[in-house]
Amino acid sequence: MKILNCPLNGPRNISEFVWGGEVKEHPALDCTDEQWVDYAVLENNTAGVVREWWYHVPTAYWIIAERNTVTDEIIRTYPARELFKDRVEFPAPAVKP
Amino acid sequence: MAVQPATLNRRSFVYRELAALGATFREVNGCAVAATLAAGRAAEIAAARDLGLADLSGLRRGGYKGWTALDWLRGQGVAIGENNMTLKQGDGSRVARLADSEAMILGDLAGGSALLDRVEAGWSITGALGAYPVPRPETNFWFAIAGRHSDTMLAKICGVDLRPHRFPDGAVAQTSVARMSAIIIRHDLGATLGYDMIADSAAASYMWTSLQDAMDEFGGRPVGLDAIVALAAETGPA
Repeated sequence: MKILNCPLNGPRNISEFVWGGEVKEHPALDCTDEQWVDYAVLENNTAGVVREWWYHVPTAYWIIAERNTVTDEIIRTYPARELFKDRVEFPAPAVKP
Repeated sequence: MAVQPATLNRRSFVYRELAALGATFREVNGCAVAATLAAGRAAEIAAARDLGLADLSGLRRGGYKGWTALDWLRGQGVAIGENNMTLKQGDGSRVARLADSEAMILGDLAGGSALLDRVEAGWSITGALGAYPVPRPETNFWFAIAGRHSDTMLAKICGVDLRPHRFPDGAVAQTSVARMSAIIIRHDLGATLGYDMIADSAAASYMWTSLQDAMDEFGGRPVGLDAIVALAAETGPA
């Protein structure tokens, strides 16, 4: 079985993980609907090295993996907090009259 | 004193399976715990030296989760080790660090935990901001697997190398066991190799049956809590 190295738990069978999509930059809060759909739904499907979210199910732990989609080689894994250091605040939308 | 499980509000997730094995139940923490099964204490101690499975679901356990959880616990005098390691505490409780943001507390085999009593009494949502209790007695079963064949048996259903020379006493593996997410903790009983298994209570019957199936080829069998307590009290070679 393919092995993924979890930063918390060490090398584990890939069956313990769930793929969570590409790591993308969050659009501005006032973005258009098209930009939001692109962020939330559409994948770039890059041929080459990509950064992806992976979820270790037994520990409910999200990590980031750098993977070559051409060779399916996993280059590096690390905790999500290496990329996401700050809390993102979402201001409450103004109440419509 | 022997009790009938149905007379208590709390009972094991596998009490029907235990009753079918001829269990004699006694009350621990208001829960019916199988002290012995039909074979009896002496035969079960002997069996568990080779391979035994016991239900500890009635025993005390709990934990805290959240970004301040570990610091808050340290402030309560709890000793916390590295991720995926367990530290024994002064009162006999064990504290397993599951992540940078979570620790699980397991009480002793008598069913108590002075540490958990103290920590739970000291917790409040405002006093421990960002540290939340995890109600493991209701959501997780707790089984003990004991005996010299236990690592070989677990290798059939778990991909992590749990052999004693690779997985030291107190080590934690949060992984897939028999296709279910579970926490495995190496916990030797005296000189006898042993492991705790903690996982979703909704699948307790499934795991109880799966483990017996995996144990069959080694002559392993279910035992009562008394056999586990007796092995833990031993200090000499198994």
